[in-house]
Amino acid sequence: MMDAETAALLAQSLERAFRDPDVKEVEAALDEVGWREALDAEGAAVVPLLFARQGAANAASGALDDLLVSSLGLPAGPGTAFVLPEFGTFAPPGSVRSGGLAVRGLGGARTAAADRAVVLAEQPDGALSAVVVDAEKLDARPVGGVDPRLGLAAIEVRDVPAPGGAPITRAAWDAALAAGRLALAHELIGASRTMLRLAREHAVTRVQFGKPIGAFQAVRHRLAECLVAVEGAEAAATAAIGADGEVSPLLAGIAKAVAGRCARTVARHCQQVLAGVGFTEEHDFHRYFRRVLTLDGLLGDARTLTRSLGEDLLRERRLPAAPPL
Amino acid sequence: MDLQEFRTGLDAWLDEHEPELRADFGPDVTFDAEIRHLSKVKRMTFDAGWMRRGWPERVGGLGGSTLMRAYLGEALASRDMIEPGIYSMTEVLAPTMIEFARPELAAQMVPRLLRGDETWCQGFSEPSTGSNLGSLACRARRDGDVWRVSGQKVWTSLAQYAHRCVLLTRTGPPESGSRGITALFADMDSPGITVRPIRAMHGRDEFCEVFFDDVRVPADRTLGEVDGGWAIAMDLLPYERSTSLWHRGAYLRQRLGHLLASAPDGALDPAELGEVVQMAFAFHARSRATQHRMARGERLGPETSIDKVLLATTEQAVFDLVAGAVPAAVALGGDADGDRWRTEFLYSRAATIYGGSAEIQRDIIARRLLDLGDGR
Ligand SMILES: Cc1cc2nc3c(=O)[nH]c(=O)nc-3n(C[C@H](O)[C@H](O)[C@H](O)COP(=O)(O)OP(=O)(O)OC[C@H]3O[C@@H](n4cnc5c(N)ncnc54)[C@H](O)[C@@H]3O)c2cc1C
Repeated sequence: MMDAETAALLAQSLERAFRDPDVKEVEAALDEVGWREALDAEGAAVVPLLFARQGAANAASGALDDLLVSSLGLPAGPGTAFVLPEFGTFAPPGSVRSGGLAVRGLGGARTAAADRAVVLAEQPDGALSAVVVDAEKLDARPVGGVDPRLGLAAIEVRDVPAPGGAPITRAAWDAALAAGRLALAHELIGASRTMLRLAREHAVTRVQFGKPIGAFQAVRHRLAECLVAVEGAEAAATAAIGADGEVSPLLAGIAKAVAGRCARTVARHCQQVLAGVGFTEEHDFHRYFRRVLTLDGLLGDARTLTRSLGEDLLRERRLPAAPPL
Repeated sequence: MDLQEFRTGLDAWLDEHEPELRADFGPDVTFDAEIRHLSKVKRMTFDAGWMRRGWPERVGGLGGSTLMRAYLGEALASRDMIEPGIYSMTEVLAPTMIEFARPELAAQMVPRLLRGDETWCQGFSEPSTGSNLGSLACRARRDGDVWRVSGQKVWTSLAQYAHRCVLLTRTGPPESGSRGITALFADMDSPGITVRPIRAMHGRDEFCEVFFDDVRVPADRTLGEVDGGWAIAMDLLPYERSTSLWHRGAYLRQRLGHLLASAPDGALDPAELGEVVQMAFAFHARSRATQHRMARGERLGPETSIDKVLLATTEQAVFDLVAGAVPAAVALGGDADGDRWRTEFLYSRAATIYGGSAEIQRDIIARRLLDLGDGR
């Protein structure tokens, strides 16, 4: 377990690392902070520290790539990207057919600068392996979309010559998914907190009818609703790391879905409170709104995760135990 | 005794006493019977020592972490031995006495509440005083060494069974607002008290009107300072939103588990089910952190309004899910299961009303946690 002082120091340097909006700068700063070493040494405990701040700062980096690559037991590094499943889904993005690799997935902020990429692929017999391919073979094409600053890239290639790759068990993939979902949950929460901060600042400064709009109960209750959503999501995400430091796949899935819904709620209310100015590109709000819409779609969106949780429960007909007191 | 030992010991004891402790449900089970059962559960758990853990020794407890209180209610609710609405009133009333009553009075009275020998009630609301507690009018006038109380309370849960009442009275001038309120600890058998039970929507005489006609309450039954009752009410509210909510959360998970196990094939929509389960887990995570803060001795404050909003929202979502999945049971069912779902569904409608309405909680969050000013 990381002591409080180490955590505070790491948090501070991470906050600085996210100040520069440029991905390259952020990557270099994370290198300097030693984030990958911290991840190796402390495990999941550093995930909330980094991703909540990345979300709060609207920054982009390859930290998610590092997390997923190292969760699968491969060496992470600034030149190694991870190919994410297609938007909204969480099936492995690769499939190996008669020696060739087909990939349909998404590259993150690191993809453009990476030398190689890790693709989780399904073999013809259903077994999983992590295949490392040259980044240029993936023919990654930038997607503009709703959040161009995130730097996502669409990947759709066939017949890439694929060396065997490292075998990955289903449990290992579940664990990697859990770590990634936990990270995204915290990033969504960080972004939600910033949206709420922006709307709150507006509510206490914008005057209409002779008083700050934050005096109107309709406005106050919207913002209160946001805080309830954020705190609920944060509690769920915090609970996903057990006393043993392991991330629970079940709870990480719940945390990501709750955080995704939370972000929608927060965005809706904050947008309404910010009104005209919040509808411009001159105000920062839109960056966060764009970001949460996109983050929700990575590693399974709230809707998909929620339905699939319900389907699993209906198969088992049992409610899983919640973490004990 | 640490929590782990407590848990293991209690679980084994509950396994052993399951048949006696299990609550009955159904259209034939009266509210009187429910209250009798509650007293029995409290007495048995007290006599076996479980109920005494987590309460100070000076009020008959055995000391130790408050997490044990949280776990006891959780275990009883998960095993369907209690209904937390009535069980967990202890979590509000006992701390009031411990903090604000004369030490001898607390030492004398609290064990009776914990052991289920007595039922107590909380007389805050009045006909013209609901959310705006500072406007209450039930008058207490000092006359030598007694208070003379005249006025009316309403929605007083369990008053028809209660031996004592934690009562808020107006001791300052009528316009003194929150500054002129004093808390008293009254005996419900005092001459001049009349109790009229009110049938609630879910078919139980959940609460009562209580009339006070020149009722004498000894001055040494004053809780806290004269004219300082507001502080007591404000201090207590966070407790109303901590351990008792944890108990209720455990109960909701138990009911959700029962729904999941018993709903006919195709009755539950996976997306709706998934969302409600996620809400229940998020509440659990939030409330768990609150239990630990309380156990560390942190002072609970306005942040517990978040717990309350999460719980009330979850509770209504759970029973909305029930009403969607087994609509005929809720609307028409005459058997024990149907009767229980109906009662619980209807009762869940009050979750956003009692203990400070959903709107009042959001006001607290806006003012105290978001620092949006007082709204004027
Ligand atoms: C099942 C149950 C058990 C109860 N048990 C007890 C008990 O044991 N002891 C006790 O003292 N009381 C008890 N109560 C009473 C409960 O505390 C009150 O019902 C509650 O405080 C609301 O008061 P009210 O019903 O008078 O509603 P009102 O205060 O009249 O409110 C009516 C509506 O207006 C809204 N409203 C009021 N003020 C504002 C505002 N400033 N801004 C926005 N909206 C506002 C409310 O949120 C509510 O929706 C119980 C109630 C129930 C339902």
